[in-house]
Amino acid sequence: MLLSLAWRNLWRQRTRTVLSLVSIAFTCMLLVFMLSMQLGSYRAMKTNTLNVLDGFAQVQPEGYADDPDMTRFIPDAQALAARLERVDGISAATPRASAFVILANGETSYGAAVIGVDPAREGKVTRLPSMLSAGRYLAPADADAVVLGDVLARNLGVAPGDRVTLLGSAADRTVAADSLRVVGLFHSGIVQIDRQFAQMPLARFRDTFAMPGGANVIALSGPTLARVNRALPEVRAIARAKGLVAADWTVLQPALRDAITLDASTSSAFYASLVVVVVFIILNTLYMSVLERTREFGVLLAVGMRPAPIGRMMWIELILMAALGSAIGILLGSAVTLFLEGYGIPLGRNLGGLMAEFGLPSRLYPHLSPISALAGPLVLIAAVSIGGVVPYLRILRLEPIAAMGAA
Amino acid sequence: MQFGMHIDRTDGRAQRRTAGADRRGFCALLAAGAFAAVALPPLTALAAPEATALLQRAYDNWRSKSSKTTTRMTIHRPTWERTLTMKGYSRGMRDALVRFVAPPRDAGNATLKLGNRTWVFNPKLNQVVKLPASLLGQSWMGSDFSYNDLSRADDVLRNYTHRIIATGSAGGHKSYTIEAMPKAGAPVVWGKQVVKVRDDGILLGVTYYDQDMKPVREMTTDRIRTLGGRPYPAVLTMKNLAEPGKWTRLETREAQFDIPLPDYLFTRSNLSNPRD
Repeated sequence: MLLSLAWRNLWRQRTRTVLSLVSIAFTCMLLVFMLSMQLGSYRAMKTNTLNVLDGFAQVQPEGYADDPDMTRFIPDAQALAARLERVDGISAATPRASAFVILANGETSYGAAVIGVDPAREGKVTRLPSMLSAGRYLAPADADAVVLGDVLARNLGVAPGDRVTLLGSAADRTVAADSLRVVGLFHSGIVQIDRQFAQMPLARFRDTFAMPGGANVIALSGPTLARVNRALPEVRAIARAKGLVAADWTVLQPALRDAITLDASTSSAFYASLVVVVVFIILNTLYMSVLERTREFGVLLAVGMRPAPIGRMMWIELILMAALGSAIGILLGSAVTLFLEGYGIPLGRNLGGLMAEFGLPSRLYPHLSPISALAGPLVLIAAVSIGGVVPYLRILRLEPIAAMGAA
Repeated sequence: MQFGMHIDRTDGRAQRRTAGADRRGFCALLAAGAFAAVALPPLTALAAPEATALLQRAYDNWRSKSSKTTTRMTIHRPTWERTLTMKGYSRGMRDALVRFVAPPRDAGNATLKLGNRTWVFNPKLNQVVKLPASLLGQSWMGSDFSYNDLSRADDVLRNYTHRIIATGSAGGHKSYTIEAMPKAGAPVVWGKQVVKVRDDGILLGVTYYDQDMKPVREMTTDRIRTLGGRPYPAVLTMKNLAEPGKWTRLETREAQFDIPLPDYLFTRSNLSNPRD
């Protein structure tokens, strides 16, 4: 009965209710859209950064993330990779080894990270093999081949067909040295990768660096980052059985995680103030209406209604309004988001170039998810509900005679 | 290996290694083990020896005109240890050639330093590679010394100001502890060096401090013996203070000083086609 009373009361003050609904709906729409934009760009950043080189997750020897020493290795890497590929949510797994080396061409030399990869599997895990600007990627039959970032190749003054000299430290602490033929150059658009990275066949890498076998890490990929994250508990269990650990994206890209955390916390402060402002506007409206309806409540008290049910009725009016407004806002916000999700928001050339540094495409695509659609409105409804305690307490204090005599 | 922003981590890693490996200041030591304690009048004869003069004379003593040495290098890590043998030649303060002769898997690797330029020779590839300046802070042959330690021997003299902070006695000689602070704007990696020398020009130890004035590594003279006819810091140990259990010991077995050395020794062609 209170519910239907509350509903009817809402529509007695049609204009005021509609205005309140509009402000709630607009706020919710904004929250849904902005949160979707934000989560969409986070997703793009993570995906586009990880799938160039890292993979969505990795299985690593314990301590490798802090001290990537070549002598920490996974002995039976091929078999383990095959086992990991059978995990639901993991579409591909590839073993890798890496070392910090000096690459030289005559008198010119640069420091670089060289990664030993399985040419047949690497392309299933990362996009780098498809980002070639010259020549070709490594092939399974390659022996002494290497692919370089295009900036590294330019610095060294080499092109496909030329040879580069590699010097580093082998797993047995001796000098690792090799002469490799450049077969291709990659251009990822991420300057650090193009300037500092090279890939060579894993088998050759093991010979050159005297690795007793295996690989340093196994890089994993899946349909989406979220799917891989959901598969992590199982991956972790498999890794633990071998004395290894699973590194998720936050371990692989701690700087990106920090950037996202910082951005999320500053924008949360913005969302919080938005919600606070709207909540106060609504509570103000409602409190006004309680004052205005003091005589009406006095009559209700006089005919025998207890103050508590009257207060509850008011409270329900408030929650109904917030829920209705939020529902409209969610619908509108989702509609706008879904439309732009297909179309994307162009960033313009300058910003687009900056975004490329972070592995972002030049268009931003918002991403509607249960979290982005519901988080903002739910917080708003909760805040309004809690704020309703103020008019409720006022109603509890009403005396019938005084209330009926109020202006 | 991480990428994109993770490169920051790669750099951080390199930084860490650098902290452990970037050493400057006393070189010929390593390069050739060529620290000659030339017989000069003991400084005790001076009433109040001046810090810079003390260091200068000590370095002059070590810097014999030339040297030829045989040195054993022991690299110690918590889980392993290995020993290499090398032959070294030095000419003046800034030129040095080091060639490893044992064990077999390391034999033939060589490093040539001419002024600020450094080349390495690898026998497997039969190739010479010039090292980029940015990598000279890296570990040399996996040891606690860096390529920088092979050069800039007089760095502590040229780029630092000196002050005696303590005196004592060692082996029947007077010893001086000298604090070396970087001159303003000098291209140095250390926040401070504390050098201990004996009045007859023997280096007793160097402690290297980072920019926060925390000691990060320490080299000590463990044994002084007569080599090439002069007292010489024959056993030196470089300790990494940040990572206990990591040290590298240089033990000079044979040494000849101020001998005539042919110029061809210090050439790139001799580096790749040894005639020595």
